[in-house]
Amino acid sequence: MVEIQENWIERLSGEESVRDVAIEELRAILLRGLSHSMSNRYRGVVQAEDVVQDALLKILSSLQQFAGRSKFGTWAMAIATRVGISAMRRKYCPDISLDGISAGDSLRIEIAVDDEQSAEQHLDQRIILEKLSELIDTRLSDRQRLAVRGLLEGLPVEEVARRTMSNRNAVYKLVHDARIKLREGLGSAGIAADDVIAIFA
Amino acid sequence: MPLKPEQVSKLLNMVSSSDTDSLDCDGCFDHIAEFVDIHLASQEVPAALKAVEIHLQQCVCCKGEFNALLDGLRALEQPE
Repeated sequence: MVEIQENWIERLSGEESVRDVAIEELRAILLRGLSHSMSNRYRGVVQAEDVVQDALLKILSSLQQFAGRSKFGTWAMAIATRVGISAMRRKYCPDISLDGISAGDSLRIEIAVDDEQSAEQHLDQRIILEKLSELIDTRLSDRQRLAVRGLLEGLPVEEVARRTMSNRNAVYKLVHDARIKLREGLGSAGIAADDVIAIFA
Repeated sequence: MPLKPEQVSKLLNMVSSSDTDSLDCDGCFDHIAEFVDIHLASQEVPAALKAVEIHLQQCVCCKGEFNALLDGLRALEQPE
């Protein structure tokens, strides 16, 4: 496939006639790969044809960053895939507004009783959920609560970032640190991760 | 607005499966092509790329892009 031509960088940076041919070859490869990877995701809300030009421009403007640690084709497809999936996520995202979720109640847990469970299992679950609620209130910042709520509502990290005027890395870090804080808090209360999994299985 | 029961389950899953991750999404992306080449060649992940593996276990977005990339590359290996 892509590696049949090993001199991609040279050709894509070469004189116009060589470059144009290489670009058209790369476009065809990206289109073929993206057509497969995008067709069965996010209900195909965006077609590969709609993003291949953006992907190509992104690749061409990033050529100097190709360090040769991977095959060129894998590197180029990685960029194209990110462009394609991001476009699909923007379009597919559920119609959810974070505006109506105040920081105060963004992760409020209502502890429900499940009649199907034994009294002992129900008690264990209640203890964990009450502790989790307390940790959310006391250990997490407003921004962490909002970011976690966004993910629980089904928004991808990058969409939470867009709606909170942040960026993907910052939102990921907020959520990551929140998860660790909650896990450590449960651990300090004698509730191990394995216990949580077993009790709610 | 309280969490729905399925959201509570998702939250519990997020918490119980959390692991310390030294990368952010861009840091993962910087190495993803290298990681994918190794993955497709069924080679053992070297220590230097273990952080990518951990990030993919923690980040649903990056994992989704990783899976899409694998699909695209496998399609390119098939005859036209």
